Amino acid sequence: MGEGPATLEAEIQRVGRALHGAFPSHRGHPLKTLDDRAMDLAAQDDELRAALFRFVDVVPACRSLDDLATHLTGFLDEVGERPPSLRAAMRMGDTKPGRAALGAAGAAGVRHMAHRFIVGEDPKAALRTLRKLWRDDIAASVDLLGEATVTAAEADRYAARCAEALTTLAAAYERFGEHPLLEHDAVGPLPRANLSVKVSALTPLLRPEAPERGQRDAAPRLRALLRQARQLGAHLHIDMESLDSREAVLELVLDLLAEPEFAAGPSAGVVLQAYLRDSQETLDTILEWARRTPRAQPLVVRLVKGAYWDHEVVEARQHGWSVPVFERKADCDANFEALTARLLEARPLVRVAIASHNLRSVAHAIARNEMLGASPADVEFQVLRGLGDDLGHALAASGLRVRAYCPVGDLVAGMAYLVRRLLENTANDSFLADQAHGVPLEQLLAAPAASRTP
Amino acid sequence: MSGTALPPFRNEPVLELRRATERAKLAVGLGELRLPLCVPVWIGRERREGDELVSTDPGRPERVVAVAASATAEEAAAAVAAARAAFRAWAATPVHERAAALVRAAAWMRERRASLAALAVRECAKPWPEADADVCEAIDFLEFYARAAIELQGGDGPRLLQVPGERNELRYAPRGVCAVIAPWNFPLAIPTGMTAAALATGNTAVLKPAEQAPGCGLRVVEALRAGGVPADAIALLPGAGEAGAALASHRDVATIAFTGSGAVGLELLRSAADVQPGARQLTRVVAEMGGKNCIIVDSDADLDEAIPAIVESAFHYAGQKCSAAARVLVHESLHDALVERLAGAVAGLQVGPADDFGTDVPPVVEREAQQRVRCYADLAARTGEISTGMGDIPADGWYVAPLVASGLPPDSPLLREEIFGPLLTVEPVRDVDEACDRVDALPVALTGGLFSRNPRTVAHVVARSPVGNLYVNRPTTGAMVGRQPFGGNRLSGTGTKAGGPDYLLHFVEPRVVTENTVRHGLVM
Repeated sequence: MGEGPATLEAEIQRVGRALHGAFPSHRGHPLKTLDDRAMDLAAQDDELRAALFRFVDVVPACRSLDDLATHLTGFLDEVGERPPSLRAAMRMGDTKPGRAALGAAGAAGVRHMAHRFIVGEDPKAALRTLRKLWRDDIAASVDLLGEATVTAAEADRYAARCAEALTTLAAAYERFGEHPLLEHDAVGPLPRANLSVKVSALTPLLRPEAPERGQRDAAPRLRALLRQARQLGAHLHIDMESLDSREAVLELVLDLLAEPEFAAGPSAGVVLQAYLRDSQETLDTILEWARRTPRAQPLVVRLVKGAYWDHEVVEARQHGWSVPVFERKADCDANFEALTARLLEARPLVRVAIASHNLRSVAHAIARNEMLGASPADVEFQVLRGLGDDLGHALAASGLRVRAYCPVGDLVAGMAYLVRRLLENTANDSFLADQAHGVPLEQLLAAPAASRTP
Repeated sequence: MSGTALPPFRNEPVLELRRATERAKLAVGLGELRLPLCVPVWIGRERREGDELVSTDPGRPERVVAVAASATAEEAAAAVAAARAAFRAWAATPVHERAAALVRAAAWMRERRASLAALAVRECAKPWPEADADVCEAIDFLEFYARAAIELQGGDGPRLLQVPGERNELRYAPRGVCAVIAPWNFPLAIPTGMTAAALATGNTAVLKPAEQAPGCGLRVVEALRAGGVPADAIALLPGAGEAGAALASHRDVATIAFTGSGAVGLELLRSAADVQPGARQLTRVVAEMGGKNCIIVDSDADLDEAIPAIVESAFHYAGQKCSAAARVLVHESLHDALVERLAGAVAGLQVGPADDFGTDVPPVVEREAQQRVRCYADLAARTGEISTGMGDIPADGWYVAPLVASGLPPDSPLLREEIFGPLLTVEPVRDVDEACDRVDALPVALTGGLFSRNPRTVAHVVARSPVGNLYVNRPTTGAMVGRQPFGGNRLSGTGTKAGGPDYLLHFVEPRVVTENTVRHGLVM
C-alpha cells in the first residue's frame, strides 16, 4: 500500500505538467490578457486594490461622466502612494473636461473588464458565445446575474427570467452538433442545456436564523423551474452562497428533489464548498440523502473552493465566532483533494464536477479519476468564463469533459459578481495571481502542506 | 494590587443562530423558564413581595411573566437611606475588588444566557437574536466598566504638571447614591450598564426597572449580588412613576442615570436642578432620551445593500430601539425605486410572536403603545401614501403592522415626533445638503445613517451631522460596547456615551490634592 500515494503523487505531477503544456500558447496569462495594468497593480497594493474595486462597484450607480470621475478621484485620494499614471488621473479630476475624459476612460475600462466575465446581457445575446464554446468542446452553465432580491415581485421576475433562459437554452442547444464527450458519462446521457440558479434570488426571505422561511417561500418557484427543466431535458444547478444561507439552500434542494415527481428528473445539482471546515459533514449529509433517494439521474455535486472567503472571515471576526473557513490556503487545498477523493469514490451515487482554477487541484482530480479506472467522461471540470478560459481549453484539448460557468446580465447586475471574482483572484494566495507572477510550475503543482489532516 | 490583571475586554459573542444547534439552546432556555417570577421590593436583605405590578407577554397578554411589588415613595426613601449608609464601605472597597464583583456578575449571567434571553423574549417581546444580544450587552457592560474603573481609579490618576516643592494629584472619587431609572427596550443591558457604571466607580445604587420589565430588573440585581456586590449597595425598586419621582427628587441622590423618553428625562433634569433644603450635593443627571433618526440615501447608494439595512434599522424589534430609523431622506433620483422596493420588502415581513425564529416584527410592548402607533399609522394613511405588511397579524397581543409612508406634508408630525414603533417615512431630497439641512432642523440628534459610496460625500456628511452616532453604509442599530459608544446630543441626551471610554467620568467627582513638600527650604 505504501506505494499507492507515491504513485498518485507521481501521476498528479505528470498530469499537471501535461495540462500545463496544453495551455494555449498564443495568449498570455488570463490576468495579463485583462490588459489593464491596473489589475496587476491592484494585486500588489491593497490600497489600490480597494480603490479599484470600489470604483468598479459604483460605476453603474454614477449619473454622469463627471460623477464617475469624482468617485474615481475620491477613491484614489485615499491611496497613499500613487504610481505616476494615477497621479495624472488625479490631475485630470481638477477640470471639467478632464473629468469627462477620465470618467469616459474609467467607464470604458470597467465595461471592457466586465465583458470578459459576462457573456451577454441576456441568454439570447449569449448564444453566440455558447455556440463557440460548444464548438471548442466546452459545455456551459448559464448564470443569470441580477440585483439582489428584496421583494416578492423581484423573486418572481428572477424566476421568470430563469424560465425563459431554460427555454432559450434548450431550443438553442438542440440545434448544436453532436458532441459525445459532453453528452454521456457511464451513467447515461447528460443534458446539454444547463442553468445555474441562486436561491437568494428566488426569495427575499432568507433568514439565517429561520431557514424554513426562505425555504417555504422559494419552494414553489424552484419547483416550477425543476418541472420545466425536466420537461425540456435541461439541467438545473442550485448555487451555494454564504454560510448564512447554506442550511436553507441545501435542505430546500434535497427536500424538493426527494419529491416523487422529481425521481425521474430533471438532472439537478448542488455545490459543496471546500473552504468550509465542516464541508466533510455536509458531504456526509449529501451522500446519505443520495443513498436513500434513488434518482434516474444522479445528483451532480459541484466541488468549489468557495467564493465568499472574505465575507465569512469578516463576519465571524465581527461576531466573535470561530472562523468557519480554512484560513490557510494549504488546508483548504488539502480539504479540496480529500473531498475530491470521496466524491469520485461515491460515484455512481452522485455525479462529480470539479470546479477549480488551481492546476494542482485539477491535476489531482484527473489523476485520481484515472487511478480509479474511470473514464475521462465520468468527471466534469468547470471553469469560470473570463478567468479559467485557458485552463478550460487545455482541459478540452486533453480530452476531458469541461463546462464553463457563464454569467449573463447587464452591467448593473454584473458589478457585484465582477468585484467578487476580482477580489478572489487578486488575493495574495490566489492560484491565478501566483501563476501570473511566474511562480515555478513545481511549486504550483506541489502537494498542499496541510497543518493537519482536515 | 489584588489578584491577577483582567484579560483585555472583548465583546461577548452572540450566538451563531444560523446553526440549528445554537437555536436549540435557546429553545431549551425557554422551556426551563418558570413563570411568573415574583419580584420584591428588595432593600438590603429585606424583601417585600406584592402583586401591585404585573408584567405580561406582549404577544399573549394573558400570560403573566412577573408579579411584582410596586415600591412606594417611602420605600424609595428607605432604599436611598440604605444605599447612603452602605456608600462609605463600598467606596472604600479597592477598585479591583469592585471590578472583580462585576466580572463575577458577568459570569453569573453567562451561565444563564439562554434563560435570561428567554425572559427578555417573554417579558418585552424581544425576538431571539435581539434578546440574545441584550444578554451579551449586559455582560459586556459589566466586563467593560470593571476594566474602565480600574483604569480610572486604580493607578496614579492623570499626570499633572509637577514643579519642585509640591506634589499634585488628581483622583476620581465616587459621588454617592446613584438612582438608576431604566427602560424596557433593553431590559437587561441598559439597567445592567447604568448600574454597573455606578457600582464600578464606588457609588451605591438603587435600580428602578421599567414597570414593563420588573422580571428582567430582578435578574440584574440577582446577578450583581451573586457576584459579590453587598446587598446594601444595590437595591431593587420595582414600580411605576411614584418610585421614580421619589428617587429623582430625593435630597440624597447624587446621580440619576436615566434612559427613557424625552418627557420623563426633561422632568428628571428639572427636578434634579431644584436643590432640596438640606441638600449637600448637586444632583447630576446622565440621561439618554429619544430621537428622530434619519437615514440619508445619496444617488450613488447601492439599494441592494441599503434596503435590507433600512428595513432592519426601522422594523427590527418593531422599531422600539432608541437607535431605530424613523425617516429616510433619499436623493430624488432614487426616491421612487426606493419606495417601491421598500414597500415590497415590508410586505414580506412576518409579524409574529418573539419566540418564533421567523418573526421579523414582534408586538409592541403594551396596549398604549399599540394605540399610539396606530394613531400615527392612521394619520399617515390620511395624509400620505402608505404601504404595509401583507402577512397575517395575530389577533391576540399588541401587534402593529409595519408601515412605510411617503408623500407626507413637510410639516407632518410624522416627520417630527418620535413614534417608537414600526413606522418609517420616506422623503425625497435634491441633494445631500438638503438632507443635512433637514437633519439639522431637528431638536434631537441620537443616531443617523448615510448610504453613499463617495468618500467625499461621507466626509461632508460626517462634518455636518449633529448626531451622537452616525452609521455609514450599514444599519443604524446594534451599537456594541467598546466599539460604538452610544448616546445622543441636543435634546436626545446629556451627551454621555454608554460603553465608551469616558462614560464613568459622569459617575465620579474629581479631587485634586496638592501637597507642599518643602519644609525649612528643604524639599522632602
